[in-house]
Amino acid sequence: MAARTSTTISLPLASRLTTAVVSMLLGVFIVYGVGLSHSETLHDTAHDTRHSYGFPCH
Amino acid sequence: MLVKYLLATIVAGLFAGILLTPAMYVRSVPLILHAEEYENAAGGHEHEHAAAPAAAGETAPAVAPHTHEEEEVSPALPFGRFGNTLLINLVAGAGFALITGAAALFLGRKITVQNGIYWGLAGFFIFNLAPSFSLAPELPAMPAADLATRQAWWLITVLLTAGGVYFIVLREEIWARVLGLVLIVAPHIYGAPEADDLTSAVPPTLASEFAVSTLATNLFFWVVLGTALGFAIQSYAASELEA
Repeated sequence: MAARTSTTISLPLASRLTTAVVSMLLGVFIVYGVGLSHSETLHDTAHDTRHSYGFPCH
Repeated sequence: MLVKYLLATIVAGLFAGILLTPAMYVRSVPLILHAEEYENAAGGHEHEHAAAPAAAGETAPAVAPHTHEEEEVSPALPFGRFGNTLLINLVAGAGFALITGAAALFLGRKITVQNGIYWGLAGFFIFNLAPSFSLAPELPAMPAADLATRQAWWLITVLLTAGGVYFIVLREEIWARVLGLVLIVAPHIYGAPEADDLTSAVPPTLASEFAVSTLATNLFFWVVLGTALGFAIQSYAASELEA
């Protein structure tokens, strides 16, 4: 880690697009469940995190 | 599929989620618990139990509106308040890490140990600071507008702010800078949904302490997450990102 590393990815977009889409969908699905879902189980379980994270709650 | 990259982001997210939990317990969670005392005392909150408080804990009504402390009635997962929060923080950490990692992949940028903190700061600005500017973090029992409306405003603000940060940070053109600024400011000029009646059972001091403590806690979370993402991707998934 001593050497300065490049901050751009040399891999072409086509080769990283699938991973990017999967990662984004998974992340959005998780954050929706944690922060926004109206499921009572999820709301009650995530209650303190929702408040602390600043998600609209209640 | 860049499996190592995905695994590296998830590990970084879990790590940040673990550290977020004690950070929340320093200030934010005690303030939530304190506010809930007023919530229960006021009795006017929408989440208040429909039945008389004396009946709580005996037999759960067929349709039980949830409250925050009656574990028998609450449909929360059974790991206890701390356990649930830890679990959710782990999951949330992974979720935000996946989104950040995906954004970097889309943009063709590498998150490194050196620049990780900036990715973290961008995440903090997009997900916490910008929405909080018009829709401050709420304590239980604080007056608030309709939930779905606020959630929609929150989501739109996050999306617009993300676009704004992209145009300001990653584009050189003047028009992009201006557009970025407009995107970031627009939801605040439009204004967040506000409750009609701002009277609250929760003392204002608690509310202001809570707003500051959550922002500080989330700043900590995002700085850890950004740096951890850089470290995990660099040390485990670097080879995958070479053409």
